[in-house]
This record gives sequence, structure tokens and C-alpha cells, in this order.
Amino acid sequence: MSSLKVSALALALALSACAPVAPSPAPPTEAGATTGTGDSPPGYAGQAWDDILAEARGQTVDFYMWGGSDVINRWISGPVAEHVFTTYGVTLNLVPVSDAPEFINKVLSEKQAGRTAGSVDLMWVNGENFRTLREGELAYGPWAGFLPNSALVDWSDPSVANDFGYPVDAYESPYGKAQFVMIYDTARVPEPPRTVANLLAWIRANPGRFAYAAPPDFTGSAFVRHVCYHVAGGYEPLLGAFDAQVFAQKVAPCFEQLQALEASLWRAGETYPESRARMQDLFANGEIDFDMAYNPAEASSLIAQGRYPATARTFVFDEGTIANTHYLAIAFNAGDKAGAMVVANALLSPELQLSKADPSGWGDLTVLDPQRLPVEWSDRFAALPRGPATLSDAELSARRLPELQSDWLAAIEAGWIEHVLQK
Amino acid sequence: MPALLTLVVLFGGGLALALAQSLGYWPALGRETLSLDVYRLVLSEPEFWPALGFTLWTAGLATVGSLILGVAGALLLRAAAPGLGLTSWFAQLNLPVPHSVGAVMILLLLGQSGWLARLAAAFGWIERPVEFLILTHDPWGLGIVVEYVWKSAVFVAVSAWAALAAVDADYDSVARTLGASGWRRFTSVTLPLLRPALIGAGTLVFAYTFGSFEVPLLLGQRYPSTLAVLAYRDYVAIDLDRRPAALALSLLITAVTGAVALAGWVAQRRLASETGETSR
Repeated sequence: MSSLKVSALALALALSACAPVAPSPAPPTEAGATTGTGDSPPGYAGQAWDDILAEARGQTVDFYMWGGSDVINRWISGPVAEHVFTTYGVTLNLVPVSDAPEFINKVLSEKQAGRTAGSVDLMWVNGENFRTLREGELAYGPWAGFLPNSALVDWSDPSVANDFGYPVDAYESPYGKAQFVMIYDTARVPEPPRTVANLLAWIRANPGRFAYAAPPDFTGSAFVRHVCYHVAGGYEPLLGAFDAQVFAQKVAPCFEQLQALEASLWRAGETYPESRARMQDLFANGEIDFDMAYNPAEASSLIAQGRYPATARTFVFDEGTIANTHYLAIAFNAGDKAGAMVVANALLSPELQLSKADPSGWGDLTVLDPQRLPVEWSDRFAALPRGPATLSDAELSARRLPELQSDWLAAIEAGWIEHVLQK
Repeated sequence: MPALLTLVVLFGGGLALALAQSLGYWPALGRETLSLDVYRLVLSEPEFWPALGFTLWTAGLATVGSLILGVAGALLLRAAAPGLGLTSWFAQLNLPVPHSVGAVMILLLLGQSGWLARLAAAFGWIERPVEFLILTHDPWGLGIVVEYVWKSAVFVAVSAWAALAAVDADYDSVARTLGASGWRRFTSVTLPLLRPALIGAGTLVFAYTFGSFEVPLLLGQRYPSTLAVLAYRDYVAIDLDRRPAALALSLLITAVTGAVALAGWVAQRRLASETGETSR
């Protein structure tokens, strides 16, 4: 299962209704002739954004994406499709799949068959899938920097410029964000430990009250990475391509720590919750005092559903928590590249990003940098209703850590299974 | 015939594709050589053997438990003779409940924050629900076995009841007039009569529980887990390279269940020819 699917699933948990598109007060960079900072994409040398808009008119963009969430599907085929059709004359055709490898395999077979005007235009990807696309030379690009709205993105943020540690290099355009948060109950733990070191100390002082889902569960695996970042003295040594020596030196001690921690865990570490869903049950039933999630709004949503106590809150570690971004990519042989770029640009517009972030709909975090937005727009993002347990964008974005490359992820998960679980 | 064809094409085709991919044949990723590397890898992984042991243990215990409870149920049914309507109602009692739902029910009932734990805490037998006996996600797989037995015992009971109903009730009366005790009648009359039905039902229960994945996933501890859970984890791993390992594991599971089914069939055949000879 792709990480995209899991994060999308986590995000989808918070959903209840379809978000209407916000009424539009003249979006600043929506349809203008300005381009982003990047060079013209391959095949469009010397052309301006307006030329791409002109070519896109009348095209049908086949958007392949994980289709497991009704609320996301409705948002795409409703407000987004209407918006790009009425504004740019682009028809958006949603093609839902159960997992990203399905359309990657499709593009791969088209490449093998030598098909030039391919059937896949736009794809929703991240992490491992993006790497597969890049290494198989299945992705078109670089193009993302050419989008006018890419100027609203903070490309110096490592969690945007790197997709699970793999450089984006304008081969995909950011679409939304997820960030790891810890969940606790103020009625049980009035003042939570706000650093990894303090949390580890808290666990040792309160045996049996803490658990994390066993990797490769997406969230549990992220928790293990936070501990490993802490033990390695920061994420920096682990960035870049996988290095067995660094792994042995910096990550192996992390397994020792987690192994030593077992005695203080729920069930003395003899077993681990197998999934995020089980973690939710344990937390809701008061068997454990902390939960964790990749969607910062999830705790609020669970409170609203009556599953979590009204006193549940979230926090991020002072040293930061892992954030990742999900993206849009264009197939190397897409038949409607101009249309795909226009749709990607529209999805990056303040208008649609705001509609996507509405907690009554998808509630996905925006990838736009509030400081690059005109005040009227940053105010509207700040004014989005936010549940009682959701941290502010400012607090979240000030504490973002990058993901590691998927080789590191796989090695950490395998190492955890070997040195912690099976010990 | 069309039904059989569909079965052969869909099932056989799936099996053939799985076999091909487990041998490393995956043209979409440019891999076209066949080898046993994946099987070697799977068998050399430290998690495999404990998982095989745990799978045999839970499936074996569940089979024995279902047979014992099932036979007891069949005898009760025969003694109470509730009539066909009530019997078939009993038979369908838990039939429509999927195993995954059954597993969640067991969790709600027996878990440490489950119904019984809360009841025990409410009665003051334990101070807090979490002090309740560990019956799910436990090292012995008790939660898993309880779920399987709950579901399969009814199936065994109905098979055994049907077998008892099909033979002449006079056997029992004759044994009684010959002065056989209740236990003696059970071991030397009822059980031999039931044997073919029990072998059949037991084989099915074992084969099913050996390959089933949702119950151990929901009620089992994380390590060791069963082979089917290992296969599932490999199948959904981020790393596409784990996909062939998942298929290799699934085929190993298929091989074991196939062997068990064959053994059950042979045992039944042998029994049939034996009883055929003695009655001649």
C-alpha cells in the first residue's frame, strides 16, 4: 500500500460533508499571465503561461487518483471539475483506483508498448510511488515551477522540496500536506511531555500507559522515526541516499532504546497494537494515555463524533514532527499535458486550497505559504473553523521535520521488526 | 459446465499468476527470469518459522476445540430433539456473521477494555478493567481460538448431527440392552459412527483456520503472527519487492491446506473401505 493511500485515508477520517468552493474575491494569481519562477517545461520552450492556457482549452484531463474516499472524490468531480471547466474550458475526468501502483503499472505498460499519446494525464502520488515514476522515467518534467501559483509555495521548506527525501525537482506540484501530531487527554495528562526525550522519560515513569502501533503501520512507523531522529541527534545525518554505515552508527542505538523501553509499554511490549484503528480504541477506552495521528485535525473530528473525550488535545514536539506533502505528477506520455498543468495550477490556487482545507469537507492542510499570500487570503485561511484539539497552522508549520527516503524507511521498519519486535 | 469453466479460469488463472510472480516473473517491472529466490528468502526470514508454529497451534487447537464442542452440541441436539425447524435455526445462528465481525465481537467481549473486564471492575473483582485476564492479543492466541471455535463448532455440530440422524438409532439401544455404560456407548458406538463426518468437518475447519487472516490480524499479538497475516503485510508493504514474497507465502499456505485436504480425503476413503469390509 502506498504511503499516499494511508495518509489520504487518515485525512479522510476527518471528513463528514462536501466542502463548497469559497465565493471568489478575485484570486490574485489565478488566471493572470504571470508565470512561476521556473523555466518553460519541455516541449513548451519560449512559451508563456497564456499559451498553455490556450492549448488547454477543450482538452480532457484524465486524473488518476486513489478513490477510496467519497468526500475527496465528490470534491474533485464536483467543485474542482466545475471550476476548471467554467474558467479554462478544461474537462476533468476523475479515474479512481484502489492504489497508486495501478496507474503506475499502466504508464509502465504504455511505455513498453511505445504509446505516445497516453491515457494517464494527471496522477496523485507521493513517496515511493513518485520515486518509482522518476526512476522508471515515467514522469514528465520539470514543469511544476512554471505554474503561476507555484510562487505561493515555500520551496525552501525541505518537506516540500523533498518527497520522502527524494528531490522533487519540479517533476511534481504540491497538492496538500499532512503532519504528525501527538494526541493526549488533558483530564488524564494535564501537561504532556513536549520533547521526545521527556516523552521517553514519561513512559518509563508511567509503565503500561503508552503504546505505538507496530511498524509498518504508517503512524507507528512515524513514531519510531521520531525516536530515531532524537537518538541520532537530529534528522540531518539520515537525509539523502541510504547509507548502511550511518544506519549502523546512528539508527542501531535507536532500536536498543526502543527495546529497553518495551518493559514500560502497554502489555510490557509483549505485543503491539497492529493498527491505527486499534490505537484509537485503546486511547478511547483509557488503556493508554497517548494516541498519534498524521492528520492534525483528526482528534477534533473524533471529539465531534463523540469517540474521544472533549478534553482530548494535540501537541507537536518542540524539536518538530514529521510532515509530508502529497503531490500531482504528469505522465511522461500524457496526451493532455497543457490541460494537466492548468488543473494542477488551479488546485494550487488559494481558492481551491481553501476549499480543500475546510474541515467540514476534506480538511487537508494547505501547501501554500501564508506569508506569500495576499493578506485577504491568509486571513481567510486563518479564519477557517478549527476544532478544539487542532493546532494553529503557525504552530504546525513552525515545527516541521522532513521525511526520509524510502530506503531508510524500509530499513528502519525491518530493523525495528528484527531488533525490537522479535527480541 | 460454464460454472466450472469460470472457476477454473478465475481460480486457476489467479493461482498461475501468483505462482509466476512468486517465482520472480514480473514483466511490468522488467523482471522475466524465474528462480526460487523468493521462496528461499521467505523460508530464511526469522519471522517465518515462529509464524508457521503459531499458525499450526491456533488452527490445531481451534479444530480440536470445535470438534469437542461440536460433538457435544450434536449429542445435545439429538437428546433434545428440537425438531428440524429449530435445529436449522440453530445451525444458522452464527452462519451469516463474518469472521471479521466475530473477531470484533470477541474483542468487545473479552478485550481488556471489553464487556467482561468492565463487568468485573463494576463488581469490584478487579480494581480497573485493564487488570482483567489477557484473553486477546495474547501469546497463546486464545482470542483467535475462541473466535474460530465459536464459529466452527456450530458447523461441526450440524455435520455430526446430520451423520447421527442418518444412521439407525437402534445401534445405541442395542448397546444399551447389552449393558454398555453411557461413556462406553459413546466411545464404541457413537464416535465410530461419527468418524467420517468428523474427519470431513475437522479437515475443513483446519484448512480454513490455517489460511484465514482477518481473525489473527484483529485478535492476535503482533509477533509471532500467522502465515496469512505475514502474507498480508508483505502484500501491502511500501516496498513493491515484497509483493512476490506475499504470493510465495500464500502459495505455501495453499500447499499446506491442500495437503491437509488430501490427507482428510484419504482418511475418509480408507475408513469407508474398512467399514465396507467389516459389514460384509
